[in-house]
Amino acid sequence: MKERRDIAKTEEKNIEKTSELRSAIPAVDIYENEDEILLHADMPGVRKKDVSVNIDNGTLSLSGVRKFETKGVSTWKEFSDVEYIRSFSIPQTIEAEKVEAELKDGVLKLHLPKSEAAKPKQIEIKAA
Amino acid sequence: MFTRVSDIDRMFGAMDLLQSRMGRLFSNFDKSYLSGPAFTLTSNSPKTNLLENGDNFEVQAEVPGISKDDLNIKIQGNYLEIGGKRSVDTPDGYKVHRNERGGSTFSRSFTLPADVDAERVEAKMKDGILYLTLPKSETAKPKQITIN
Repeated sequence: MKERRDIAKTEEKNIEKTSELRSAIPAVDIYENEDEILLHADMPGVRKKDVSVNIDNGTLSLSGVRKFETKGVSTWKEFSDVEYIRSFSIPQTIEAEKVEAELKDGVLKLHLPKSEAAKPKQIEIKAA
Repeated sequence: MFTRVSDIDRMFGAMDLLQSRMGRLFSNFDKSYLSGPAFTLTSNSPKTNLLENGDNFEVQAEVPGISKDDLNIKIQGNYLEIGGKRSVDTPDGYKVHRNERGGSTFSRSFTLPADVDAERVEAKMKDGILYLTLPKSETAKPKQITIN
């Protein structure tokens, strides 16, 4: 039980830390075919240099920070500076070195290629 | 009911957590509103900001994944309409695991605080955000009055 409490406390600390810059969960689409997994995430307003994609021990974590340079008085405000954060568990069969990422029109597109060993194979039946 | 000390301990732990969550509830009330995803199944229209600086209004709208050809903007007097279409297509030959980014058509209209000069409106798209610069019309501009 002691252990559980520690976990709860760590979570608390993290929330306090990120409350300076609001964090948000980006909406994602995930597609898969025989060769790769595709991940599309909405991150409007995030510039290329402010995106980071990390793959570590089966966890893919995305992070993107957006900051607006605003001048003038705000009459209404529905969105603001934010940090998009989201993590996914990915299979070990993803080749981390070959992952490609592109950012276009506020959408981050990740290509996660599968390793050769993980691709489905057609087995040929030999005549005996 | 409570057979072990650890059960009681756990119960108080949960209460502490609840208390701190409740304490944060109000300060975080607008948080999800300001930072949540723009396009979800519940809200189909883009979020916008309106800023006013001297001679111009500036409208910002979150339009991730929408090309500029799929947006149309109409202005008349102090009426502004942003409409468009967001298409989210499954790439050929892929199966879908998760689909949170909804495609939709939307239209949102605003009444600006003052008339704008529709001829001189500038629109640009950058990183999935639409920026509109709307110069106020001559009659709506602030004027310096000299005292005789």
